[in-house]
Amino acid sequence: MADDAMKTDVQLPVATDLKKPRPKKAPDLPILERRNWLIHLHYIRKDYETCKAIIKEQLHETQGMCEYAVYVQALIMRLEGKIQQSLELFQSCAILNPKSSDNLKQVARSLFLLGKHKAAIEVYNEAARLNQKDWEISHNLGVCYIYTKDFKSAEEQLNLALQLHKHDLTYMMLGKIHLLQGDTEKAIDVYKSAVEFSPENTELLTTLGLLYMQLGKYQKAFEHLGNSLTYDPNNFKAILAAGSMMQTHGDYDVAMNKYRVAAYSVPESPPLWNNIGMCFFGKKKYVAAISCLKRANYLSPFDWKILYNLGLVHLTMQQYASAFHFLSAAINLRPRMSELYMLLAVTLTNLDDADNGRRSHEQAVLLDESNPLVNLNFAVFLYNQGDKKAALLQFQEMERKVNAQVENNSNTDFDPELVEMAQKLGTALQAGENLYWSKLGKDSKTSQRSSSSKPSSSQQPLGTNQALGQAMSSAAGYSKSMQITSEPEADVSSAPSPPTVTPGEPEDEDEETAEPAKLKEKKSKPRAAAE
Amino acid sequence: MLCMSSTGDSGGFFLCSCSSVASSKWLDAHYDPVANLYTFSSCIALSDLHGDGENKLVVGDLGTGVCNMKLKVYRGTGLLSESTLLDLPTGLVSFPMDLHEPRTPAIAVASGPFIYVYKNLRPYFKFTLPSLEANPLEQDVWSQAKEDMIDPMTLKEMLEGLRDKAEIPLSVRSLRFLMLEPQEMENFVLLHKEQPIRRQTVITCIGTLKKNMADEDAVSCLVIGTENGDVYILDPEAFTILYKMSLPSTPTLMDVTGQFDVEFRITVACRNGNIYILRRDSPKPKYCIELSSHPVALVRMGKNVVVGCTHETLHGYTQKGKKLWTAYLPAPVTTMALMDLPTRGFQAVLVGLANCEVHVYRDKNLVSTIKTPDVVTSICFGRYGREDGTLIMTTKGGGLIVKILKRTAVFDDRDSASGPPIAQSIRLNVPKKTKLYVDQTLRERENAVAMHRAFQMDLSRLRLAAARAYVKALESSLTPMSASLTEPLKMNAVVQGLGPSFKLTLNIQNTAACRPVMNLAISFLYDENLYSMRTAFFKIPLLVPGLNYPIDTFVECLSDKGISDIIKVFVLREGKSAPLLTAHINMPVSEGIALN
Repeated sequence: MADDAMKTDVQLPVATDLKKPRPKKAPDLPILERRNWLIHLHYIRKDYETCKAIIKEQLHETQGMCEYAVYVQALIMRLEGKIQQSLELFQSCAILNPKSSDNLKQVARSLFLLGKHKAAIEVYNEAARLNQKDWEISHNLGVCYIYTKDFKSAEEQLNLALQLHKHDLTYMMLGKIHLLQGDTEKAIDVYKSAVEFSPENTELLTTLGLLYMQLGKYQKAFEHLGNSLTYDPNNFKAILAAGSMMQTHGDYDVAMNKYRVAAYSVPESPPLWNNIGMCFFGKKKYVAAISCLKRANYLSPFDWKILYNLGLVHLTMQQYASAFHFLSAAINLRPRMSELYMLLAVTLTNLDDADNGRRSHEQAVLLDESNPLVNLNFAVFLYNQGDKKAALLQFQEMERKVNAQVENNSNTDFDPELVEMAQKLGTALQAGENLYWSKLGKDSKTSQRSSSSKPSSSQQPLGTNQALGQAMSSAAGYSKSMQITSEPEADVSSAPSPPTVTPGEPEDEDEETAEPAKLKEKKSKPRAAAE
Repeated sequence: MLCMSSTGDSGGFFLCSCSSVASSKWLDAHYDPVANLYTFSSCIALSDLHGDGENKLVVGDLGTGVCNMKLKVYRGTGLLSESTLLDLPTGLVSFPMDLHEPRTPAIAVASGPFIYVYKNLRPYFKFTLPSLEANPLEQDVWSQAKEDMIDPMTLKEMLEGLRDKAEIPLSVRSLRFLMLEPQEMENFVLLHKEQPIRRQTVITCIGTLKKNMADEDAVSCLVIGTENGDVYILDPEAFTILYKMSLPSTPTLMDVTGQFDVEFRITVACRNGNIYILRRDSPKPKYCIELSSHPVALVRMGKNVVVGCTHETLHGYTQKGKKLWTAYLPAPVTTMALMDLPTRGFQAVLVGLANCEVHVYRDKNLVSTIKTPDVVTSICFGRYGREDGTLIMTTKGGGLIVKILKRTAVFDDRDSASGPPIAQSIRLNVPKKTKLYVDQTLRERENAVAMHRAFQMDLSRLRLAAARAYVKALESSLTPMSASLTEPLKMNAVVQGLGPSFKLTLNIQNTAACRPVMNLAISFLYDENLYSMRTAFFKIPLLVPGLNYPIDTFVECLSDKGISDIIKVFVLREGKSAPLLTAHINMPVSEGIALN
């Protein structure tokens, strides 16, 4: 046995043996694949240096005929970024063994990485002919089709891949296609089934939560984001999303707790510091709020949302000159947003620049489509200017918008300050008592409001107060609308407060308490909501 | 280095040597950083080779990876014996092969297409994998060659034709023949033609399976996986093939449980990234687990399978291939082993990581971490000497580490997921604001209107001033860029030297897309008391678009008072008195004269 085996290891060139006169027995030739296992073992352990050395030796011994060695070498090259060379090696593998779909798959993969999607699709189709039932081929074909913008074929292939074998990655791609086509509902369906299949995948959970948020289904969003945070308490996206949701519910302390985790892992994120700043704002720590917002602004100077918030906070702080700069910067970046013009108008009014204030209000009303606050503020402005007629017009426009919202049922919860202010103005203008506020009276809150609101406020206070009210409201509205990039959190254990149960009611409660307190500082005031 | 005694009583000795790591659950029994071992978990076994109740460590050492392969046996801290292996060992198992007394287990070393069986550390038997079916066409061709009916060149052509379209791959001989230079071919044919064509494959993994009893030392069959995707079960005494199964890919890792005569289950990880589960009565895989990345190591824990993957994850699956859990690891997995302490009823998975740590996982919960001086490449846990809880590891650098589990060690099975992350208690780094800031805020509050107006006023003035300066510059062609559409020119000037002579270089560029500029001239205006110039006026050649034309001239400073002045440069067009471009060069003080 020893004899026999001894020869197995002889790798001498055959020629030297041949020189011996008539050897009795031919030497056993080394098997080409004999070191494949060793190559594989080093490859999967990511020990690429050793792996390359073994491959080199093996290729030298077999003169490049060892398919697996070439294959792994190509894989390593691709990992090292030498995609073109790896493509060539995979092609030579495919020549050595034209029947293997693996080789073709890798050729296609390299083509894909080189951005040659059409060529990749062709090769994948060829591979699919060799191996009908391979989810990987279907999945990658789907991905290639996405890049060639052929969404229909992509969807078809990805669904095929899911039939063959379910993988999180395929679900994600399929969801992405629906999102690219703007079909959020379908995307949600895909992510839902993905979450069913793989309930612990935090990426899927977070994406699904964010999609629900976009659709305004905050409870469901909160649920999924909360699950995601249970499995991975450090998930940055989920923390931001969940935190912003808590913020809108006035749960500033819990939100801050979450943000601390995020700030530790991603200390330089502009949206994170923006949200932290607005948390401080909600807690009335204005100096801290400005600090955080300024950091966010430093990190991302062209983000209009941060500038908007900075303008708002400065407006609240009665630093009108600074507010003006931040708001005009925001308008330069985002020239078609009515709320920005409205805030600018309020600022200008406070800077005694009524002419420009009026122009800014006009611009805001022109751009706005559905926000009654814009018209209310303009009406208040006009009333303070003594132009009752125009004020009445704006007031009626506001009524129209409110009624439209009530009819569409989109949002019947108006900010109590908006209601209060509107009622005061209505009384002053002798209009509107008979209109919607009576309708809104159905809301228990509104009735409370009306009772608490002062009979009829003098004209003087209205203006200044209104600005503040506005500021506050847009703060709330702002944090809500802007956080689409970032978002809320829902660690159920850490957030035992009602938000999960009924978002509507408690939220308003919180805001009420927060806002009026502030207003008192400056004198009681009305407030409008951008819900 | 500590010395290790094979008896458990001497635990106290270790304790005093390791007092610095008293909190550790392990005693450092032995560490040899230069043991020169190159091996994998599949090539390590603990076995009572001599039937004396003392377990030895048997290692199949890959040597340099090319030569010097050894079968090494360690007892305690020392090397007991060493014998040469003929080829790289793929796997090594210790198995009871018969019922003869004394009951000493045999060692099977898989290497290439062979299994070498050792008893009492002596070669006992060599098993060769059955040859694969050879291509009949290939056989025909070679038999023609044997009878000298065809010459080597024709043979080569025919074999090449076969290689490209044959269903069955060619044998090594033909492939080797095709690699040869033409002059070597004839000898090769002469040498080999008498032999029958054989096509062989190699063993890629090996395991053991109890034959018909569940006892610890019951006779076991060998289970081997081969490169071409077959799994064989061998009879332990006659070494005949009892059962053959086939897989869609090459097996790389294998775990076997059950008894051959009753029911068994072979879990095989394959090179295509899938795990297949084979059972008795079915020559094809019963279940398939498709992983998202390659499996690096596979361990069975009770009825579940734990797989470490290249994507730094650890997955748990049931016997039927249903996914139970996933744990995320901080570094790539290098190897894994089962940690089984039946006396304590404790089972866990040891996971070697590329960041020089070994993690102990119970299901998805990390229960302990061991730091190692080097990356661990193989792990083996079991009875060594007479100590039950011994952990043996080899490192990438060739070291050998032996640790003994303290009898007092407790693995508390805490749930790693509970509790908020530590970061939550770290204070937010909110920038502080000074008193000055607050004062300024108050000032702004009081004077916002005035500040705003002043700002707007100044802003308007600034804009006006800027606009005026711009218009003036345009009117007097003071800019370094020509505003004229017909002669778009750019110029900059560089002054070199310390004085009293300076070199003045003007770089002129025509920035037009395609039109050349002609008939230009340059003149200088300077204080003649201060400076002199060899040529204060010269013509510029035709300017080709895009090219940079450096024009040099020399300036002599006449003053020794350390003063300097401006030299004005004008680019002029013939026939026009207004310059196209003007540049003001601030001359440096001439240091040459100042020094004198």
